[in-house]
Amino acid sequence: MTVQLEHPADEIKRLQRCINDLVSLLALPAMWNGSKPSDIVHTLRDSLLRMLDLDFVYVSLPNLVDAAPSETVRVAQSREHMFRPQEISAFIHRWLGDAPQKSFLQERGIIGDEEVSLVSWPLGVQRGIGVIVAGSHRTDFPRDTETLLLSIAANQALTGLQEARLLSEQKHVADELDQSVAQRTAELAATNELLRNEVDERRRAEEALVATQRNARLIVDRIPGLVALLTKTGQVELVNPQLVEYCGRPLEELKSWGTSDTVHADDLPRIGQIFAQSIASGDPYDFEARLRRFDGAYRWFQVRGLPVRDADGRILRWCSLLTDIDERKRAEDALKRSEAFLAEGQRLSRVGSFSWRVETGEITWSDELYRIFGFERDVPVTLELIGSRVHPEDIPLLHDMVEKAQAAVGDFEYEHRLLMPDHSVKYLHFIAQGIRGHDGRLEYVGAVQDVTQRQYSEEALAKARSELANVARITSLSMLTASIAHEVNQPLSGIVTNASTCLRMLTLDPPNVDGARETARRTIRDGNRASDVITRLRALFSRKDAIVERVDLNDAAKEVIALSLSEFQRNRVILRCELADGLPVVTGDRVQLQQVILNLLRNGSDAMSTVDDRPRELVIRSERDGDDRAIFSVKDAGIGIDPQTIDKLFQAFFTTKNDGMGIGLSVSRSIIEQHQGRLWATRNDGPGATFSFAIPFTADTASNT
Amino acid sequence: MNSSKEKIGGEHPLVAIVDDDESVRESLPDLLGEFGFATHSFASAEEFLTSDCLAQTKCLVLDVAMPGMTGFDLQRELKLRGCGIPIIFISAQKDEIIRRRALQQGAVEFLFKPFSDTALLHALNTALRVT
Repeated sequence: MTVQLEHPADEIKRLQRCINDLVSLLALPAMWNGSKPSDIVHTLRDSLLRMLDLDFVYVSLPNLVDAAPSETVRVAQSREHMFRPQEISAFIHRWLGDAPQKSFLQERGIIGDEEVSLVSWPLGVQRGIGVIVAGSHRTDFPRDTETLLLSIAANQALTGLQEARLLSEQKHVADELDQSVAQRTAELAATNELLRNEVDERRRAEEALVATQRNARLIVDRIPGLVALLTKTGQVELVNPQLVEYCGRPLEELKSWGTSDTVHADDLPRIGQIFAQSIASGDPYDFEARLRRFDGAYRWFQVRGLPVRDADGRILRWCSLLTDIDERKRAEDALKRSEAFLAEGQRLSRVGSFSWRVETGEITWSDELYRIFGFERDVPVTLELIGSRVHPEDIPLLHDMVEKAQAAVGDFEYEHRLLMPDHSVKYLHFIAQGIRGHDGRLEYVGAVQDVTQRQYSEEALAKARSELANVARITSLSMLTASIAHEVNQPLSGIVTNASTCLRMLTLDPPNVDGARETARRTIRDGNRASDVITRLRALFSRKDAIVERVDLNDAAKEVIALSLSEFQRNRVILRCELADGLPVVTGDRVQLQQVILNLLRNGSDAMSTVDDRPRELVIRSERDGDDRAIFSVKDAGIGIDPQTIDKLFQAFFTTKNDGMGIGLSVSRSIIEQHQGRLWATRNDGPGATFSFAIPFTADTASNT
Repeated sequence: MNSSKEKIGGEHPLVAIVDDDESVRESLPDLLGEFGFATHSFASAEEFLTSDCLAQTKCLVLDVAMPGMTGFDLQRELKLRGCGIPIIFISAQKDEIIRRRALQQGAVEFLFKPFSDTALLHALNTALRVT
């Protein structure tokens, strides 16, 4: 470098100016206090341009926070036409980019068309902060004072920038802090607002709830029923006054309904179970139970409970409505009882009932009728279905009935049979009444009785009667055994004795021939007597079932009388026979009719067994009654008939005798009735009674005789 | 009605017959006559009791079943009167119970009708031995 000597005065001036510049530079940090790096850079640039009479100043602060723009170029106003900032930047980049990071560099280069001298001065160690580059066209640039000023300016700028940087960092931290405080505050404010809104909302909701509860309470208190509110676990929480009033118990007592007598003891186990299940499952409950009224009476209630749920479906509580259904229940019970009675009555009496709407063909049957027909309860009833059960032989009856029923309104009565799947036969008695409804439609309402038992009973009765008649005959015979034996043995005894005597007389010497002849004659007579007895007995023993033949009542009576004579004799009965001559024959079973006569004779005789103050007279009479029948009567003079028992005389097993079986008169009457006749008893004007029967004559003989 | 076929003298013991059956009253006296007894027949117990031959009667042939007083009634009555006439019952009713009762009451024999002449003779001999 060539040192050019100057004028001393200039030299002094220059130095003085340098000192002034130094003072200015040293004052810079005070000015920069609190300034931003960009302000520091501006001030530094402008100061250097002015102090050092530079063409341009370049500052780059790439490592400084908040120092945007990081690169600035300031060209002196007088030189702006010579240099463009881009060219300067591009040149400096090339220059400093080649050089290692030295603290101070000098260069002479051409920017644009101008040759300039460049000086770079680092900011911070190894350009830790940035770099300052000053350029001037002067060839003596930089002079020593200028270098000094530059280095001091750089140091001052570095200090200022570092402080600014510190400040900036502090500010940044403070800003961040402020910001996060502000954000937090905002968040808190927002949260606060939310909370306030929520509180408001909740308050409003609570107010609404209270209002609703008040309204609900009003409704609940005025509802015509008993209401209880329960907790979600089923505890009674609240009840309306009606419930308190009904039970006559305060809420506290009602809470323990599960262990008190508030609910009828018979209902408690059942509803306790239903209630517990509902509370556990959340399903509504609905049951009927008896609740104790204040006066101790139990009335039926329908109890319905619904869960009250919140928006999420959680059960808050239960609301239970209790409705008094006692009247209805009683009516229902009465109806059920009545229906049960009817059904039971139908079952017992084997009567089914039905209705038949002729036009629609709609048929309704009672349960019993289904049972009688042997159909399932849910089978729809049609005429075809009925036809499938009716006995094939009775199908024409069914058709006849249906035709008549459809033709006209009327009442009708039928008896027909059913042929059941098991081939058994049922006898039905069917009565129906036709009615016209309000709509003019014809409907039949009727009853069907299963008379199978009756039918069978009648058959069995007829059989029993016939058996009984036989038993009676046998019984009478066994009672007669004594007199029969007597009847037979008496002549036999005579025969044996006479024959013995005869033999002895013939063995005499000389033989007593006259005596022998007499005894032989008596032997023959007694033999004939025995033969007669045997003949009559054979008639009684030989037949069993009823046979129809022509019977002469007088002859039949005489046979019986002959068999009974010895008994009459023993009982000192005086017999008077008044049998009408020329009595026409009757048709019937001779032996059975003789049974009746025998029974009447024995009764008459027995009735007089204790009579000693008058003759024991028995009058047997037969007579005509008009042209068509005969009357046979037996009149005794016995103890007579008690008016109170006269009606019972013909009942089986009724007897006034200690040793009697009491079937005589009832069997006798059934025998006579089987002969289309009649048997009756009358009290005599005098002592005793008269038993009579009337039997029609055989048709072709009555008029002839 | 009664009839008697008495042998003259005391060697023919008197047998009384009481039976309501006529054929017995006809046939039995002839047979007893052949046996050598005197007989007197009665149709009822009452007739016998009212007759005057109780004292002479050595044996009584008595029917059980009779109208009015029965054979047993007569047996009882005679016992009440202290009259010890041996009794032979005859009956057309073959009833062992009645027979046993009669024998217990002191009857000599009880014959069911019809009975043989030897059975009757045996009974009569027994009866007369008793007295």
